[in-house]
Amino acid sequence: MARNWSDYKTNSWVQWCPACGNFGILLAMQKALAELDLPPEKTSIVSGIGCSSRIPYYVKTSNIHTLHGRPIPVAEGIKLANPEQTVIVASGDGDLLGIGAGHFVALGRRNMQIAILLHDNAVYGLTKGQAAPTLPLWLKTKALDAPNIQSQINPLLLAFASGYTFIARAYAYHVDQLKDLIKLAINHKGTALIDILQPCPTYNDIMSKEWYEKRIYYLTSADPSWDPNISSQEDFDMKAPKILDKMTEWGEKIPLGIFYRNISIEPLETRIEKILPGYLQYPPAKRPIDIKSKPIVHPFTEFKDRIVQT
Amino acid sequence: MLRKEIYFILGGPQGAGLETSSSVLTSAFTSEGYGVISDREYYSNIMGRHSYIHATVSSIRIPRSLTYPVDIVGAMDAETVFTHFNDLSKDGFIIYDSGTENTKIQQVISMEKEVYERIMEFLNKNNINQDIKSLVNYVEKNTKITPIKLDYRGILNTLRDKFSINSVEAQKYKSSILIGAVAGLTDIDSQSIATGIEQRFKGKQKIIDANKYIADFVKETIQKQFGSQLKLDHSSINMDEFIVSSGNDIVGMGKIVGGVRYQSYYPITPAADESVFLEAHQAISVNGKPISSIAVFQTEDEIAAITSAIGSALTGARSATATSGPGYSLMVEGLGWAGHNEVPLVITYYQRGGPSTGLPTRGSQSDLLFSLYSSHGEFPRIVIASGDNMEAFYDSIDAFNFAERYQLPVIHLLDKFLANVISTTPLPDFNQIKIDRGMLTFNPKVKGAYKRYDLSSPINERPALGSGVVMWHTGDEHNEYGHISEDPNNRRAMYEKRMKKLEIADKEIPIEKRAIYYGDENADFLLIGWGFVKGVALDAIEELKAQGLNGAYLHLKMFIPFPSKYVKGILDKFDNNRVIDVEHNIMGQAAQTITTNTGYIINKFILKYTGRPIYRMELVNAVKNILNNKSDREVLTYGE
Repeated sequence: MARNWSDYKTNSWVQWCPACGNFGILLAMQKALAELDLPPEKTSIVSGIGCSSRIPYYVKTSNIHTLHGRPIPVAEGIKLANPEQTVIVASGDGDLLGIGAGHFVALGRRNMQIAILLHDNAVYGLTKGQAAPTLPLWLKTKALDAPNIQSQINPLLLAFASGYTFIARAYAYHVDQLKDLIKLAINHKGTALIDILQPCPTYNDIMSKEWYEKRIYYLTSADPSWDPNISSQEDFDMKAPKILDKMTEWGEKIPLGIFYRNISIEPLETRIEKILPGYLQYPPAKRPIDIKSKPIVHPFTEFKDRIVQT
Repeated sequence: MLRKEIYFILGGPQGAGLETSSSVLTSAFTSEGYGVISDREYYSNIMGRHSYIHATVSSIRIPRSLTYPVDIVGAMDAETVFTHFNDLSKDGFIIYDSGTENTKIQQVISMEKEVYERIMEFLNKNNINQDIKSLVNYVEKNTKITPIKLDYRGILNTLRDKFSINSVEAQKYKSSILIGAVAGLTDIDSQSIATGIEQRFKGKQKIIDANKYIADFVKETIQKQFGSQLKLDHSSINMDEFIVSSGNDIVGMGKIVGGVRYQSYYPITPAADESVFLEAHQAISVNGKPISSIAVFQTEDEIAAITSAIGSALTGARSATATSGPGYSLMVEGLGWAGHNEVPLVITYYQRGGPSTGLPTRGSQSDLLFSLYSSHGEFPRIVIASGDNMEAFYDSIDAFNFAERYQLPVIHLLDKFLANVISTTPLPDFNQIKIDRGMLTFNPKVKGAYKRYDLSSPINERPALGSGVVMWHTGDEHNEYGHISEDPNNRRAMYEKRMKKLEIADKEIPIEKRAIYYGDENADFLLIGWGFVKGVALDAIEELKAQGLNGAYLHLKMFIPFPSKYVKGILDKFDNNRVIDVEHNIMGQAAQTITTNTGYIINKFILKYTGRPIYRMELVNAVKNILNNKSDREVLTYGE
């Protein structure tokens, strides 16, 4: 019997502020997992630190609440050792693009099959509203003493430059559209980013629900011929300028949807299999290392070339 | 007269092939039944700075230490002659290139200013001109040292006709001139040298042949002119086979036998070579059939190295990361997470000279206290340290066993000395090796939501992530299910549960894995050390015994949990004035750890923190000074 979204609920009280965008993301995630019918024990949500990083406790899968900025490398370790595990990173903009930005970039080079859900509210909520890396220059949200003097990062462009092969933007209150994107991101054979715009009703009084809803539109509804799919280098050369054009659009209009989906770049798992045949069949986590407490590898046969006879 | 032991230095610019000389000679001496220990000293540099090999070859035992003076200085360049002529014994040999005769010390631009000034002072004091020829003349007149002048260019030019190797390429064969010179003076069989060369250059026939040719040619030349004046006695070691390996490689071997399935690293000296070794052995096969694989993952930094190893460890794969001080500094937040979440994780920690970048390619033991106390908060960890290749091999396996049995991070301390020293090691005893995976399971009996941190026992069943149960892990304080809890009663119970594991480890881990006493009942002074100090301490004790001083050595291997009772028991048997701490740091960190754990205060110290290893002769001398009440604290400095 297929699972229902409520099968992925836990008994924990969800402790976000009323009207927090995280509620929409949580529901979309549970629905996506249910529609994909993913076994809870074979699915891991890995988060960092911050309001959004509490999401692991509200989803009944085998989850890990890591250190500030470090959900990506923890997720990578899981995926490398056990490629069968479905691995989703859910964390905030400060976590992924501030303290953890190096890992965000490095993951793109690897193109591992990990879906990144970037909870993007432009503020550090849990520490009371400081500017996060996605807060635009000169904005003065209510917790700030003075306007923000640091420019914002464009997560889509950063992901594109780093090698992510699935790049999308969503809006937290559009649960069904977000759910569909999450499903695609999880199934994408490579690294996927969904930049999820979410109002923070407590600390970001400028980029509010009304602020967003005046600006957002879907790429496909504005342009029915919009095609983010890339399957070859030629394809890339042809479509990249338009994709970049849309990725840089921000202001009066903010586009949502899939910006870029490249299926011509192989994921790290496949690359490892090429240099280490058998890796996917015999992944590190899945095979015994001993027989009745004796090592499987005998030192004197494995390292024969290091033994000198006298 | 046949020699029982010989000591030599081979020097030249970094990148010129000294590692080749070291590995070939070590294999060659070993295949003739001799024991070898061969240290490599080098600058943080790819090419050009002065580096050297310093070795002991023995016919009577497997050598454990290095010493001065040496019997041979083999110089690839003028800098080696200037830097090391003073290291020679009274009747030693110096092999040098006739092409450098007119080189003045001022022309050696790679020489550090401080070294230059030291040598200039010597030259001026003895009225020696500032070129190699004058220095060699001085040595010839005033000592019994034999200079051996060889025309390196002429020798290498012969490769052009015989192997069509041009003169630029031929420079790479300088290492075989030195190999041939050592082989000639010590009368090593050409076949042994050939075996060493073949092992080094597996299958590259032209390179093998050219190297053999050069080595043989030089060997014959030297034997004709000087005979084999340093011929070694027949070996009385009597072993059929040895492993010839660096410390880096033997740790890699230990990890593979111990079942490592994930190793992360960020490139750093002197740890990276271990990961490179593992990369070459990623495919695990038995009888030619692939059965498993090791994921060796080069991360973007050491933070990712430790946190990805944590992720991997959660899946049930034996996971490790290898680093040195600067990298470990970045890892400590992750270390706390692993301790708090009861993650079995091995951190192989090769100490080098700190703080900051410090002496990146030089040895040190100054990170003991850091490894014991690093990361905020309180959590259990096990800290072990290895003193030689054999210990490093077993400890690499034990580290995983402890990590999984007690579900905690294990820090395995090594140092640059051990990492880069190539030595002959007897084969480990396979019967002694056991794999203990503790309470790991891939088939948990309970299904669904799971009490990963069940308070009914300090050590719980540990299901691999993905194996049938839903679990939560968090860096926040958590309840039995891994959910956040700030409840004071839960806090106390979880805190105590975690720390309790150390008490269990303290009871269960046998003393021989934690501290080893070398000495007899009548010993009347005690050296205490750890790590690479072991070899030189044991050799010094032996030498002092021959001089009528009966001492013992207490070798510390496990610092957490510390074998307090055992150590205190031994210390109490000795006169406090004759208990001497020997370490490669300025603070006496092991001595402080002893005081912290036992209340015993050590008052005599022999310390070295120049980045160079402690040499036998300087340790023997320092011990005598302390025993004769000449000083309480000896600081050793020998070595370039």
